[in-house]
Amino acid sequence: MVCMMCIKHINSCKQREGVSMKIIIANVSDQPLYQQIKEQIKDAIFRNELKEGEILPSIRALANDLRVSVLTTRRVYDELQLEGFIITKAGKGSFVASENLELLQESKRHMVEVKLSDVWKTARTLKISKSELYSMMDLLFEEEDEE
Amino acid sequence: MLFNLVRKDFILIKKYWVVLIITAIGGPIFVTASVKLGSAGFLGFFIAALYNEHFLFATVSVAEEKYKGSALLCATPYTRKALVKAKYISILVIFICTYIVYTFTAFVVPMGIEQLNIFTFGLSLLIITIFWGFIIPAQYQFGYEKTKYISVFIIFISIAVVPNILKWLNSKDISLQISIPQVIQNLVPYFLALLIGFISMSISIHIYSKKDL
Amino acid sequence: MNNILEVNGLKKDFGDFCLDNVSFSLQEGCITGFIGINGAGKTTTIKSILGLVLKDAGSIKLFGKEIDKNEREMKNHIGVVLDEGYFYEEMTMSEMKGIIAASYSNWDEVVFKKYINRFKLKLKQKISTLSKGMRMKYSIALALSHHADLLIMDEPTSGLDPLVRNELMDILLEFMREKGKSVFFSTHITSDLDKVADVLLLIDNGKIVFNEEKDMLLDTHGLVKGDKTLINEQTRKLFLTLHETEYSFEGVTNKKSAVRAQMMGVVIERPTIEDIMLTYIGGNEDVV
Repeated sequence: MVCMMCIKHINSCKQREGVSMKIIIANVSDQPLYQQIKEQIKDAIFRNELKEGEILPSIRALANDLRVSVLTTRRVYDELQLEGFIITKAGKGSFVASENLELLQESKRHMVEVKLSDVWKTARTLKISKSELYSMMDLLFEEEDEE
Repeated sequence: MLFNLVRKDFILIKKYWVVLIITAIGGPIFVTASVKLGSAGFLGFFIAALYNEHFLFATVSVAEEKYKGSALLCATPYTRKALVKAKYISILVIFICTYIVYTFTAFVVPMGIEQLNIFTFGLSLLIITIFWGFIIPAQYQFGYEKTKYISVFIIFISIAVVPNILKWLNSKDISLQISIPQVIQNLVPYFLALLIGFISMSISIHIYSKKDL
Repeated sequence: MNNILEVNGLKKDFGDFCLDNVSFSLQEGCITGFIGINGAGKTTTIKSILGLVLKDAGSIKLFGKEIDKNEREMKNHIGVVLDEGYFYEEMTMSEMKGIIAASYSNWDEVVFKKYINRFKLKLKQKISTLSKGMRMKYSIALALSHHADLLIMDEPTSGLDPLVRNELMDILLEFMREKGKSVFFSTHITSDLDKVADVLLLIDNGKIVFNEEKDMLLDTHGLVKGDKTLINEQTRKLFLTLHETEYSFEGVTNKKSAVRAQMMGVVIERPTIEDIMLTYIGGNEDVV
């Protein structure tokens, strides 16, 4: 039913200053490009792949690597800054914010809530029961423990 | 600014320097030898100068038409005004260079080639200015292809006409000396040349500033 | 964001072709791709900006100042690369450079030499002996050696092989690293723009069709493929262009969610710049 997955995998590994970001842009997602990039940077911050205080690639460098417009990466950084995830210092660059941990925690919770909500909706559509859902969740945790 | 634009014209003809020098030397010699007129020197110089100028002008015009180099130059800070002015200056530079070679030739070659005095130099300057003062704006307006025949035509005509003008002037010489002091008389052609040159340049600038490149 | 160049109401009548009220702005710090088919008005527009073609009406401002009124000062900020170079072929690169360099107040010989070495050009060579690729590199070297803020290029990549084109795109990206630089270049080879363009400006038949961020255009439009049976009166309205064959269809839409909702089993792909261009130019038989 759903589209072919032509995933445009762009591996942005900036060895400069030790920043390593892997950003994958899905060609068939309905989500605007800047949104996809923003979410993935947020993910990287949550998973601690991007550490607090770490410097991010410049708007231009990120744009070049991902083959997107600087206007897009600028928008990404602008919104990330507004939401408190990064700080941009004029002339120095953009850094992962080391303040507002609470904000981050809240956002993390919110993200999981949103995803759970998606799962719940899908389950309902497919008429999967609550107990089945819990079993699936248990299985996932078990697999993780085994790893 | 203007210096480099004039230099550009000379770079374009650099293959032909030899031709120009030979003309400047050979012209007067040939004319003096074949024409037994008092003012043969003047005629020789005039023809050589006109020929050399025409040669430069034609060569540069062909190159401009072919490569459209002036389009790129206009995209730089060079103004259209400067391009036009440089063209006039190039012609003038050829005139002066031809004169230098001529004077040297007349001095060195033992043929009795007449040197130019202030009046005859001014006179040739004036006639040249009238010629180019007409041709250059015409070329800006109509393009090289259409005007090239006109300039060649005029050159041949003038070679026939100028000796007659000279004869006329020679006959008028005495009466002029009575009415106007010599100094002023000498300056008149320069003044006229300057005036005509200036008017022609303004017209050319006006035409060229309205052209699409 | 500042606008480095503002064109307003540009009009030029050539009889059988005219620029009709062309207005657009170029954002600073961006590479703007000027696209359109041959004869759409790209070269005329660029020549008007550079003062090579005299406009019938309109204003063109660089850094907020009319170019007409401050020609010399303004042109010092502009680097120019024209299709076919417009060089005196019989001159050597060195001679041509001498003339061009003298006009710019900020000419930087060191920068020029660096580019020449990088491109492996020999300045003593006559311009007529250069290949198209070398000629373009020479043009670029001239254009980037006087600290220009705006680089304007007219079809710089036409006739070049993909390797050289790629090199040129890299040079543009390098140029953009410095703050306050902008690039404006026209092309009908849209694949070049995939790599570098930030903004796309489409001109068709002398009129500006759109002036949009590239990613936004590609985000909001979709290339849809599916079974022909899905096309009916309602769904047809969702498409900007539609091409139907015996069993299937292909079309471009800017209503992706509606398409997904109303048409089952279709494939929606991210369009290319060429898809977008073809959607919006006139004379396209597939336009709905």
